[in-house]
Amino acid sequence: MTLRSSEAVRRRLDRLIFLGPATGLLVLFFIAPVIVDIGIAFSDMGRNLRVSEFTTENVERMLTGDRRLSGVLTTTFLYVLFTLGIFNVTYGLVLALVTTSLPERTGAFFRAVWLLPRMSPSVVYALLWSWVVAPTDYGLLNQTFAGLGLPLIDLKSDAPMLLIVLANGFIGASFGMIIFTSAIRSIPEHLFHAARVDGAGGLSIVRFVTLPAIRWQLSFVTLYQALSLLVSFEYIWLITDGGPFFDTTVWALYVYQRAFESGQYAYGAALSLALVIIGIFFALLLWRFFDMRALLQKPRIEVS
Amino acid sequence: MTAIVIAQPAEAPAYDWPKLAAKARSRRRTQNLLLYGLMVLGALPVLVPYLWLFTVAFSGRTGTSTLVLWRTLAVLLPALFGWSLLRLTMAPGRRLHMLEIGLAVATIALLAVLTGPYLHLDNWRFLWNRDIADTLKGASGVGGTFPSVWTAFGNSLFLACAQMVIVISVATLAGYYLSRFDFRGRPSYLKGLLVLHAFPAMTLIIPIFLMMYWIGLLDTLTGVILIIVALELPFAIFVMKGFFDAVPWDIEMSAMTDGASRRQAFRMVVLPQVKVGMLAIAIFAFLRGWEEYVFVRTLLTSKSNWTMSLYLFWMRDDLMGTDYAMVSAMGVFYVLPSVVLYTFMQKYLTQMTIGGIKG
Amino acid sequence: MRKANMLTAALLVGATAIGAALFDMSAASAEEVTVKLWARADRSGPLRAGNIVAAVEPLNAALKAAGSDKVVKVEVFESPATGFDADALDLLKAFSIGQGPDLFVMAHEWVGEFAKSGYAMQMDDFIKANPWAFADVIPVLWNATKFDGKVYAIPQDSEIRMFFYNKDMLRKIGKDEAFIEGLPGMVEKGEFTMADLSALTKEVISGGAATMGLVHRPNAGPDYLMTLASFGVNVFDEASGKLLLPKAEMLKALEWYASNAKDGVVPQNNTAMSWDEIQGAFKTEKAFLYHQGVWATKEWMLGDAKGATWPTDEAGYFKKIGWIHAPAAEKGGEPKNLSHPIVYIVNPKSANANLAAMIVAYATLPYYNVQHAAGSAHTAITYGEANMPAYKDAWYLAAAMPMLARSIFIPNHPAFGRYNGILYKALQGVETLRLTPDEAIDFLEDELTNELGDDVMVVDKLN
Repeated sequence: MTLRSSEAVRRRLDRLIFLGPATGLLVLFFIAPVIVDIGIAFSDMGRNLRVSEFTTENVERMLTGDRRLSGVLTTTFLYVLFTLGIFNVTYGLVLALVTTSLPERTGAFFRAVWLLPRMSPSVVYALLWSWVVAPTDYGLLNQTFAGLGLPLIDLKSDAPMLLIVLANGFIGASFGMIIFTSAIRSIPEHLFHAARVDGAGGLSIVRFVTLPAIRWQLSFVTLYQALSLLVSFEYIWLITDGGPFFDTTVWALYVYQRAFESGQYAYGAALSLALVIIGIFFALLLWRFFDMRALLQKPRIEVS
Repeated sequence: MTAIVIAQPAEAPAYDWPKLAAKARSRRRTQNLLLYGLMVLGALPVLVPYLWLFTVAFSGRTGTSTLVLWRTLAVLLPALFGWSLLRLTMAPGRRLHMLEIGLAVATIALLAVLTGPYLHLDNWRFLWNRDIADTLKGASGVGGTFPSVWTAFGNSLFLACAQMVIVISVATLAGYYLSRFDFRGRPSYLKGLLVLHAFPAMTLIIPIFLMMYWIGLLDTLTGVILIIVALELPFAIFVMKGFFDAVPWDIEMSAMTDGASRRQAFRMVVLPQVKVGMLAIAIFAFLRGWEEYVFVRTLLTSKSNWTMSLYLFWMRDDLMGTDYAMVSAMGVFYVLPSVVLYTFMQKYLTQMTIGGIKG
Repeated sequence: MRKANMLTAALLVGATAIGAALFDMSAASAEEVTVKLWARADRSGPLRAGNIVAAVEPLNAALKAAGSDKVVKVEVFESPATGFDADALDLLKAFSIGQGPDLFVMAHEWVGEFAKSGYAMQMDDFIKANPWAFADVIPVLWNATKFDGKVYAIPQDSEIRMFFYNKDMLRKIGKDEAFIEGLPGMVEKGEFTMADLSALTKEVISGGAATMGLVHRPNAGPDYLMTLASFGVNVFDEASGKLLLPKAEMLKALEWYASNAKDGVVPQNNTAMSWDEIQGAFKTEKAFLYHQGVWATKEWMLGDAKGATWPTDEAGYFKKIGWIHAPAAEKGGEPKNLSHPIVYIVNPKSANANLAAMIVAYATLPYYNVQHAAGSAHTAITYGEANMPAYKDAWYLAAAMPMLARSIFIPNHPAFGRYNGILYKALQGVETLRLTPDEAIDFLEDELTNELGDDVMVVDKLN
């Protein structure tokens, strides 16, 4: 036994101990289902879960025969754009900036308020929204409007996109808020002092000190949340169920409805593969945009 | 008026430090007041629905009346406004403290008078009445097959905790390895994780359902736990890797030059530095397990395995209309543990963030 | 007394039948057999499962009388599905991995799917062999249990879907009693049409007696089919056994919905409301018409619920509320309503299939079924049941029985659930003014042919 080979054994053992559990779990319960899913996408599995032949029919249908898809794609794009642009990034940043400049306990209180939607189980959260926006005078929103002498409104029918952006945005804002808050806190205090001595006001401090310092976090949140929004549909499903008509049917929900509400598991699987491809494309695009190579930077030193 | 006088620029006197300080303080106060107002306005749409849920849980009778909510708001909002005014205008001290106590007592007394007559605990009967379906719509006929809320509560707690523990330990190990060790395929591993995060996991329900059946984990909480763990891992590993990246090399190096092995250094020196990250993951993982609905709904069939999400969904979703007041109470009961967890963890979080990043 | 007699008779006849059926299974020692029942947790009909549990008692007595040592126990699984369609999909999943129950409760239109997949036992011989239980079943109900001409299920209940109208509102806009009370008769004779109903509703609203016109369910369901049928839409072709989309007739029906939405006869956001709001709107007398089933009477119309108190006696109720079919589309046409029976289905692969079927036979007896019917306001499945005191006491059921003559059923086609889901989307599109009726027909044709393929036939016009 040379020193070198025992060294190699230990390295392998290290990898097994540290990376083994994660790899095992991911392969067994994530990657394997993905492979099975690809199989289903190219099969004729229907509601009785039986496969009698393998076919490319589902892919053909998706590419040529499904007239709903272009609308669904537009809806998805608008939904991700608005939710991300208004809440997950912008409002998350505003919350982080404001709560860090308020006295510590006050700031913490407002952060806690915005975390409340994220703390709430989805079933409760969706229940609250449907009660709030109920179209008759049962709804909290309409009671408020009536109290102010305004006419009743029905977000679910008249502005469904606004409704799902709000409902998802109220949850989404807190992710950016958390990440940005800790990033802002880690900016060395003397930078702010220096800026203030130079006579910078609040807004220019934000622009010239804070924003550059949290650039990495900004791109991280944008990328991660774009992908999360792209694939998530639970709240839309529980609040509007994609309606009225197809107005709020985003791609991920469309996949679910095709697979589980009409039992076309194979077509659903094909649609979900397309969503993955869109997701990867999206990821690569943002990657270029934001120079995500930093994330993959090699460890600077390795002690063995 | 006096404020304006103070704010006027003095004609180049020798530096009047106390005056300047006062000016800065008042500017800061106005700015804070503005920001504070902005935050309050933004927070209202988030908070009021929850307050509604809360008031209905303690006052509603089969429906979702808003009477108690408006009365509560009518008392609370002016009280909060008054309190912030006190805080912002008065110097801290005994007098402020006395005024605060006075305000609190007055608020509570007013609330008791205005809402007291409507309050009752009847909506909480699901906590002690085992067969709640019976009390809603006559006998359920099959008697005793509807699970008690405590069964659902226990299941959800087990699901959330077990899942949380596994995610933290596995993600910490993997995050450390990915942060500190270079190995062939590391970039692909990281990119792969990013892609897995992008994968629409919900659409995997059918293959997951089939696989759970093949390995005999269908209709077990264990099966659901393992699935959620796998779906949470990519995100958790990323976060942990980020935290390890932020831990300076020097402390690890010095531990090892002192004779510690790699694993010892990890355990005794590095791990304490990333507690914040682990807590952050813990909160996210717990919540994910606590609120899980879609997979629970698909993979669990036995009533004895019901979780809170299924219990509540069944209670709220009834063709014939339901007792919304009791559903509100259940909602409050269901939200409470995650809110409590957050309140405790948040204290830790802020402390640790500062400590963790300084290096 | 009556109950006891009927039970004894049933026990005696049943005992012989069971003796024959279980001859091969009789064992020397006492043996507990568990029959697994799958039923959707549904508070509108808890006795669908409850009657099966109760019917075990006479079965065990009969088994004992026949000298068998078997003791049957029923284990109920109440699924948390949100509707019968979701429940059917869940159950199909359970079956496909070999975890199907011995016996299950299902909406009748799913019979086809389960029969085709081999999850439903063919019942013709069993029914013939046990006339003591099945000879009295109202014949029209068997139509709802057939697939390919054979019976695969046993009816569990029936009901009538209809339009409820508010008579007080008609009084308020100055209609005379003769018109108000004569409306059901005019509808029955085909003199009062769908267009007349819309016009009358508009009159009620413009007269200030109501703020909403017709309100209907906020989701997919069988109700709409009766309205479509009035316009001549037939969704099932008996000859070929395929589902049908008759474009011309469907267009007329959709145009009715579209003009209703435009004229404010139906709220454009009807499908955005909750059940609670819809029912509340009718109960608090904001809406003139309510479209649903007879059971709603007992569920929330009588007495104190949904924000208002209504009379609980027959005379008082019918002074306020009247019932009509979906009127004919044109004068002289036929009005329609819909009955949507729930059925019991036995798993043919179950080791206890015969026992499960016997339990269903006992549960079909009037003594048991009337408790469900009267308790949950569903119409009877046997003539004997309809004559029982408990049933007659439920005056709303007696009042609904004659309407059964105008009932249509949903076709027992395996793909009907999907057809219905697509149909609902089209209706929602039309009602929210997102689709014109023509676009909706286009949408229907595209979606139906894409999703159902050979299961559906698109024709320009029937006849």
